[in-house]
Amino acid sequence: MKVVIAGFGTVGQGIAEVIGMRQELFTKSFGQPVRIVGAFDSISFVKSAKGLDPIELVERKTATGRVGTREVDGGIKEFIEEYDFDTLIETTPTNILDAEPGYTHIMAALNAGKNVVTSNKGPLALRFRELSKAATKNKVQLRYEAAVGGAMPIINLSRELLRGETIYSLRGILNGTCNFILNRMKDEGLPFEQALREAQEMGIAERDPSYDIDGVDSACKLAILANAIFGMDVTFNDVMRTGIRSITEDAIALAGEQKRVIRLIGEINNGRLEVSPRMVPNGHPLAVGGTLNIVQLITDLAGEITVIGRGAGRKETASALLSDLLAILSEEHAKGR
Amino acid sequence: MSGRKTLEGTLMKVNVDLRLKDIPGQLVGALEPISANDGNIRGVVHHHDDKVGGRIAVNVTFEIRSEQVLDKIMEVWKKREVDVAKIDAFFETYPIQYLIVGNIPTKELESITKALESMENVASIEVRYTGSANSSSRAALVTGKASKKEAIGSLDQFFKQRSDKHDYILIRGLD
Repeated sequence: MKVVIAGFGTVGQGIAEVIGMRQELFTKSFGQPVRIVGAFDSISFVKSAKGLDPIELVERKTATGRVGTREVDGGIKEFIEEYDFDTLIETTPTNILDAEPGYTHIMAALNAGKNVVTSNKGPLALRFRELSKAATKNKVQLRYEAAVGGAMPIINLSRELLRGETIYSLRGILNGTCNFILNRMKDEGLPFEQALREAQEMGIAERDPSYDIDGVDSACKLAILANAIFGMDVTFNDVMRTGIRSITEDAIALAGEQKRVIRLIGEINNGRLEVSPRMVPNGHPLAVGGTLNIVQLITDLAGEITVIGRGAGRKETASALLSDLLAILSEEHAKGR
Repeated sequence: MSGRKTLEGTLMKVNVDLRLKDIPGQLVGALEPISANDGNIRGVVHHHDDKVGGRIAVNVTFEIRSEQVLDKIMEVWKKREVDVAKIDAFFETYPIQYLIVGNIPTKELESITKALESMENVASIEVRYTGSANSSSRAALVTGKASKKEAIGSLDQFFKQRSDKHDYILIRGLD
């Protein structure tokens, strides 16, 4: 299988490394290697029909800030459409305003008959149905496990292993940064600003943390889950959203007196999508600490199913991208391709 | 600040193990006083094989309005020689838990308490708060019990509207 990696930041580098590490698995299980035949970031690109060395790509990016030797001067859409490869791995940063450039990359690949594996939330949280329809129309796969919850396999679990179930509702913690901050406020009695600063110093929160603490990231993931698992047709804008910016030490203490902790919870119930702080009983699975992500599904036959895992990180996100890549290889293999 | 109401209007759930004589008409005779007192029978399990002292064990689950009604039913059972081996009775309630954070004057807290006290199916409420009346980040915790599940929906709506109007952060309890 020939793949192109779009976006070569932390996630793009992570999947390149993992592809390098798992060549034996690809060959043993599917009788073919996975070759990276192209990669690009926002300023440069590189391609080789024979295949590129993942380690060299990562080293060049680290040393020069560029993955390729050639300048990107437009024409990426045409490159994706015309270049000979099987699967696009789209890992450009999430843009929640207009979903670009991820949307253009993904749509170009799907319409050119290429599979897509992505970790990019923007296109899925804003234009999910268009992308799904394009994948169906062109008889290719669009997979996005890495877009929600990093290494926590919630989408594939729901759509594949639980496909015989009726899933009534879903709720969970979809943002590790908020969970870390709320947990530090409770454990150490810290004010919000100090817990946030600590998270920023540890590299858990961005310098501009609004995407996390205002619930934008959680709302994107919730919209994707609503579309993927519940067959809804919603966007990020359909999610009612309250962040954690205004949570005070007093609020945390009052909740504590009731043996409860405050957590930022995403919930899909009766067609209603909401991200908001909630009081969760101590000992409840959703009272989980640290930067973990967790999702609970309520189903008709299996009852309550809880999945917990690391929601972000280079290797964790690469793990989710790898599982999608393997699913595509598996299907192609079954078709005898 | 607190407001308490009785559990009037709340259904009492009763689970009882009866021992009935092994002759026709005993089960009907045991269930009749429940229906006659507007009770709602939720389940009857007849243990034909479980005979104690020649009597058949029957487990009945039902809902009634008050303890006085249960006393009346027990009285009839006594007259009809229905033995009660074990009885569990409790009022089914639903927890109320809301936390609001923001610039909340004491007057507003009083107004919230008053509104909740007059709300149908709110059995009890208690309001606790921190911070001074002038604080822009006062936190107030509203806890209590509702006698019907539908009341929680109304409360959710009440707090949502109030929070939107006055720009508070609303934190609902999660089951």
